Amino acid sequence: MQRAEIELRNIRKVYHKDRIEIPVLENLSLDVASGDFLVLMGPSGSGKSTLLHLIGGLDRPTNGTVRIGDAQLETMSERQLTNWRSRNVGFIFQMYHLVPVLTAAQNVELPLLLFKMSGKERKQRVHTALEVVGLTDRSDHRPNQLSGGQEQRVAIARAIVTDPRIILADEPTGDLDAKTSVEILGLLDLLHKDFKKTILMVTHDPRAAAHGARTLHLEKGALITDNRNAQPETATTGAQSSA
Amino acid sequence: MTISYVLMQNLRRNRTRTALTILAFALPMAVFVAAISFVTALHTLHTNNEKELRLGVHNKQRLTSTLPSGYRRKIESLDTDGTRLRAVCGMRWYGGRVPNTQNTLTSLAADGDTFPIVYSDLEMTPEEVIAWKRERTAAVTGIGPATTYGWKVGDRVTLDSSVPPYLSLEFKIIKIVPKAERGNIFYFRRDYLQASREQVGLLDDRCHIFWVKCNSVAAMRSLQREIDEHFAGSPDETKSEDENAFGANFTQALGDIPGLMEALAGVIVAIIALVAGNTMMMSFRERTRELAIFKALGFHRGRVFALVLSESTLLALLGAIIGIVPTAGFFWISPLRIPRMGPISQLEISPLAIGGALSIALLVGIAAGFWPAYQAMKLKTVDALRRVA
Repeated sequence: MQRAEIELRNIRKVYHKDRIEIPVLENLSLDVASGDFLVLMGPSGSGKSTLLHLIGGLDRPTNGTVRIGDAQLETMSERQLTNWRSRNVGFIFQMYHLVPVLTAAQNVELPLLLFKMSGKERKQRVHTALEVVGLTDRSDHRPNQLSGGQEQRVAIARAIVTDPRIILADEPTGDLDAKTSVEILGLLDLLHKDFKKTILMVTHDPRAAAHGARTLHLEKGALITDNRNAQPETATTGAQSSA
Repeated sequence: MTISYVLMQNLRRNRTRTALTILAFALPMAVFVAAISFVTALHTLHTNNEKELRLGVHNKQRLTSTLPSGYRRKIESLDTDGTRLRAVCGMRWYGGRVPNTQNTLTSLAADGDTFPIVYSDLEMTPEEVIAWKRERTAAVTGIGPATTYGWKVGDRVTLDSSVPPYLSLEFKIIKIVPKAERGNIFYFRRDYLQASREQVGLLDDRCHIFWVKCNSVAAMRSLQREIDEHFAGSPDETKSEDENAFGANFTQALGDIPGLMEALAGVIVAIIALVAGNTMMMSFRERTRELAIFKALGFHRGRVFALVLSESTLLALLGAIIGIVPTAGFFWISPLRIPRMGPISQLEISPLAIGGALSIALLVGIAAGFWPAYQAMKLKTVDALRRVA
């Protein structure tokens, strides 16, 4: 049997607020195969985003272990975890979170500042990432000159420019209209199918969830259901639609 | 693109605020540089004065009262073995103004024979000394009035006296002293003034001050005591002071200028530190989300700390430079003359003040940015993202 790309064991995560202990995840174990497209669903406060943050190395479990590939995240120092994250994980957020004073190309280039590479290679990588999301013609535009969908595409380009093995998307279509959502989901399909990325996506939208190969339902920090989609939906990619 | 580029772009985020913050640094820094330059000029003057070993002997009652000119011989006779005293120069205040102006020059009539010895720091050449002794109307002036009124060596100029009997005398410029600290001086021969006074019926021959050039500090201290003891109980008692103490009579009349300037500089530093600190905190709060994203992308704590701190430091340094350059340029193009500031007659921007201002800007920038940078470093990415999502 093939070893899982992501392996979580007996995860417990507790937050503290005003000395009150708030459990978010309780005894959760999960395996995700390399190249899978996993959708996390559940009501607000069910622990979806927390799970995503634990897998992305943005947070640490209170108890339990998180292994991604060969990296055992809970044993890493802050610096090691940050370095690991910059090389292995790409984040896509609901609100895009682009730097407003930088152009689209510069926003995509931002993670590459942490890598030693020639200017030519860096430029090539940025161009390729923008090409994948179909935004090469908007590379000099600042975020305030782009639509919401275009901003999210820039955020996707930023997430893939370092060629990470895992893409973590936290409600990537949550702030977009139906048509633009389809474009963004199309891009995630592309990254999953053509670029063989392991994708974990948090969503409340069942139509978005239909694009995943596997759907987990969480409730009160526990895994309720784990279903595999026989025929995941596919959508026209952003690149194709803008071409 | 580099991190420096990102830093510069951050400053463009809110241009009005950046410009106002830079201005908030620039204006106090300009005042700071001018204030410290003034204090530095005073210190330089004091140091130079100490080297000249000059003792000023004036009327004990007040500076404006005079002493008989015969006191010069009596002072000279106190140095019985001729080892302590080099020369004594009697001087009388003229209070000369260029006609139709209110600019009173530090104009004094000095004994023609001993002036070049007592004021050796004016560095008169042998030719200038000859001209000084040959020409009864000879005058030595500072660079200030020479620049203002376009005077050149050989020019004949007229000064109206602002004190009785309000003479109007013509002088021939034989030297222009290039030293900034002597910028407002105007010396001429006392025998010329005396002759002019006698022409209007004033026959008394008195001086406002005698400058005694000594050979050593010890000689100066012993003569200071002996002179005042010698004239004690006479109708014109004396008070002897070294040149720094004498100069302090003027500056202290205006208050503790150096102390005030230094206090002002301290207040300025405190104000800009508060302004910069406030700005950086606002900037940090507005960008909490963005800094969290930087961390999520893989920028470690140290880098985020450096990014915020560099921004604050850059703002402070830009402000300082924008404050210093025009101030230095202004004083370089048009040196400030301060006729009422006593011994300080001209102000030039001191390199020490510039260095001090830049160092303070750097320190204030670091101090103001430290807390926001620390907050950014400690920022929990997850909490920041959750707060704004």
